[in-house]
Amino acid sequence: MGLRNALLVARRQVGAVREDRYVVFLLGLVIALGVVAVLGARHHAASEAEQRARYQAMVERQWVEQPDRHPHRVIHYGFLVFREEAPLAFFDPGVGAWAGTSLFLEGHRQNTANFGEARHATGMLRFGRLTPAAVLSLLLPLFVVVAGFASVSAERERGTLRLLLAQGATPAQILAGKVLGTGAVAALAALPVGLATVAIAGSGAVGPVSAGRVAGLAAIYGAYLAGWVLLTVLASSFRASSRSALALLIAVWVALCVAAPRLGASVAGALHPLPSRAEFTHQVELAMNEVGDSHNPQDPFFRSLRDEYLARYDVASVEELPVNWGGVVSREGEAVSSRIQEEQQRDLVEGQRRQDRVLSWMGFISPYLAARDLSMAVSGTGPEAVEAFRAQAEAHRYDIIQRLNDLHISEIRYENDRAQRLSREHWAEFPTFGTRPPPLGGTLAARSLSLSALSLWILLPLLGLGLARGRLARVGLERSGS
Amino acid sequence: MKAWLRLLRLDTLRLTRSTGVAVSVVLFLAIGIYAAWRGGRNIEAAASSAVAAETAYQDQLEYLLSSYPPSTDAGEVLYYLAFPAPQPSLPLAALARGRTEVESASLRIRLLALEGQLYEHETVNPTLAAAGDLDLAFLLIGLLPLFIIALTHDLVSSEREGGTWNLVRLFARRRRLLAPKLAARAILVGVVVAVPVAVAAALAGFRPDGRAAWAVALVALHTLFWFALCLGVASGRRSSTANAMILVGTWVALTLLAPAALSLANAILHPVPEALELTVRQRQGYHEAWDLSKAETMEVFYEDYPEWSGRTVPEDVFTWAWYYAMNHRGDQAARDASRAYRDVLREREAWARRWSRFVPPLAAQLALDRLAATDLGAQLAYQDAVRRHHERLKTYFYPIFFDAAPIDAVEWNGVPAFEPAAREESPVRAGLPAAAALLLASILALAAGLRTSAPRAD
Repeated sequence: MGLRNALLVARRQVGAVREDRYVVFLLGLVIALGVVAVLGARHHAASEAEQRARYQAMVERQWVEQPDRHPHRVIHYGFLVFREEAPLAFFDPGVGAWAGTSLFLEGHRQNTANFGEARHATGMLRFGRLTPAAVLSLLLPLFVVVAGFASVSAERERGTLRLLLAQGATPAQILAGKVLGTGAVAALAALPVGLATVAIAGSGAVGPVSAGRVAGLAAIYGAYLAGWVLLTVLASSFRASSRSALALLIAVWVALCVAAPRLGASVAGALHPLPSRAEFTHQVELAMNEVGDSHNPQDPFFRSLRDEYLARYDVASVEELPVNWGGVVSREGEAVSSRIQEEQQRDLVEGQRRQDRVLSWMGFISPYLAARDLSMAVSGTGPEAVEAFRAQAEAHRYDIIQRLNDLHISEIRYENDRAQRLSREHWAEFPTFGTRPPPLGGTLAARSLSLSALSLWILLPLLGLGLARGRLARVGLERSGS
Repeated sequence: MKAWLRLLRLDTLRLTRSTGVAVSVVLFLAIGIYAAWRGGRNIEAAASSAVAAETAYQDQLEYLLSSYPPSTDAGEVLYYLAFPAPQPSLPLAALARGRTEVESASLRIRLLALEGQLYEHETVNPTLAAAGDLDLAFLLIGLLPLFIIALTHDLVSSEREGGTWNLVRLFARRRRLLAPKLAARAILVGVVVAVPVAVAAALAGFRPDGRAAWAVALVALHTLFWFALCLGVASGRRSSTANAMILVGTWVALTLLAPAALSLANAILHPVPEALELTVRQRQGYHEAWDLSKAETMEVFYEDYPEWSGRTVPEDVFTWAWYYAMNHRGDQAARDASRAYRDVLREREAWARRWSRFVPPLAAQLALDRLAATDLGAQLAYQDAVRRHHERLKTYFYPIFFDAAPIDAVEWNGVPAFEPAAREESPVRAGLPAAAALLLASILALAAGLRTSAPRAD
């Protein structure tokens, strides 16, 4: 009986929306935009991915086609790697556009990844991006507001709320029905984007997408939009008029979806400022100057290293060493400089994570931020994916450079060192680079703040509706008494 | 006149007594002053970044000169030295931050191949950049229209819905009733705009020049556009609710959807494979030279620097002249790709500018970025200035390389200083097209609104 009443109210709500030409028009617009976003973003992501794959293949070919070269020469020739985006980047590109895409790996120094998409973009990018994720997280809530702000208040204004109550529907049933009805309209608006996303992800055209990730996204956006539906019906039930419910809901939407993310990012930047690139490279240099330079034979660190080697092999000069001293200097120098640069780099990344945490806490104010954070985590396009690329590329760099140094030590004689060359057959023995994306479990485990923020986002309006239930009945009685 | 002023006072009082209005005014002012403060801080951060580039150069030079014997080849020490190229920011950048979050304006340039060094990112945290940044421009272009909508969408309908419209209409004509209401709202909006802008002007030291004047004019015109649009919509016979939905819908379309759709279209229409192409080419161009005869490398070097063609380098020993010529070869190999890359970016910028004329918030924002020299065009001009600087440095040091001079032969005080990119574009050129577009849009919005809502026998 209770369910039947709720379903009747829900059907009534859907009917009211269907009769509202403005809302129907908006529904069409949201669906069209969602589909355009999916297709556009898919096209863009595909052409970017194709480009990167093409250049990656070219660079790998150039590597094995190198002529006979001295290993130290190859250390400076280095390697170029390109950051692959996750398969679901077409759905939610996350932070990718603002992180570099090409990274030059060479000896002695850690370069930064260059050419993020934002580098090629005009000032328009600051207004936001048209992506399926943006349609779901930014536009759909506004549509929910428009479809549901009058759900309860219009019944009250027309006097039909009293009728419903008189016919035996309880306030809880009415509210549940309104939530279901508005939710059904919201689901209808979200469905095309969702289906298109699933179709593209399932086709395998973008790379392997696990069902877990797709289900995760469905859960995140389902919960996020459910929160908006609950909040909308709540506002409609306790505000005096439809008009003031709409005003309140639009204000809330602007505050949570438009203002709070930017304010949060700005405050995070103000609380934990990062050194600028110039300041950062200066710090790295100061730290490096303290240990010296493997290219400089006068350097104190390498002098003591030499004494150690002379003692170990019990010889009087480096020429008599059974290993190539030049290669040893290069290898030890690389170990030291990599450690120092990695420490500095970790500090920088740690600073960024501190900023991220401020933004995560802001998720308790703005569910948009929480949903966005979780969405890019599940899509594999969050900051940890960027950091994984950086860390893995650095590990790859270190591995390649030290292999080359080992070849230098074992295959090249000390005297007349630089005139010798290593046969080109060696180049094919080097490993190629591929990013291993961070696993979903770990990514989500690190996001307890956003997960709890999103849970609260549903629980609080639900609680509010529980309280409004009593008031709804009173409002109904007051009206009937007047 | 006196009655008019009384009406104005009455309307202003009525406005400020409404809780919603009071709360939004306070919030807007608070965020506005915060954004102004942040703008000032960003300017300071840019300045300290420039200082860091300079200090790093001095520190590095001192370290190198003290750790290498004076007889060392200058070429060896110069391999490590990074020369500062700081571009001072305009005070207006406090208002419109543009792309400065992503890009360094204080590059440090070594004498090696330049193309590998030009495109360093700032140490930006991608998470924050993706969330968007809050500068005054965003507040004034993005959020202010919502405040205007909240104040004006029910200009007429509230009286009608309150049942007072027919009553007041007995005493005055429609225009006389609307004018003081509009004036009261304009004053309120003027205050929430003027206060943060004044704070930013004080913190960042805006000069009262043409740029500042155009920036103020653009913000004013953009505000005027929204007033015109709201007035046009609000004078109709629709309900307050319908007006609010139409106006907020327009805001979403103009401020969120159109820019996002145009950005996506721009990226799809103008792809930039050249970015990766030039990276690959520069690397190959330089490294191939190690496997060529030195004469071959020098031959291409002489093409660009015929004045050195009389100076050959020995084949059998390493010389720094040859080493830097190899680096030049890298830049040469990347030259076409690099030019193509810049051409595509210029196309993107021109395309964005063209389409922004039809989207008032975009027109205002892009013009503000241009006036503040924080747009893509300014970044390209900066890169050109860095190119010229790199060239000057090379010209300064080539004699030293060809003479294989030691470090104590270098006149370090005579090293050319960076000459920042000139702000050649006149503020009129940056501001006028957008201003004209905004004015036209205001007239159209008002006319369209008034036409569809021509008062019948009201």
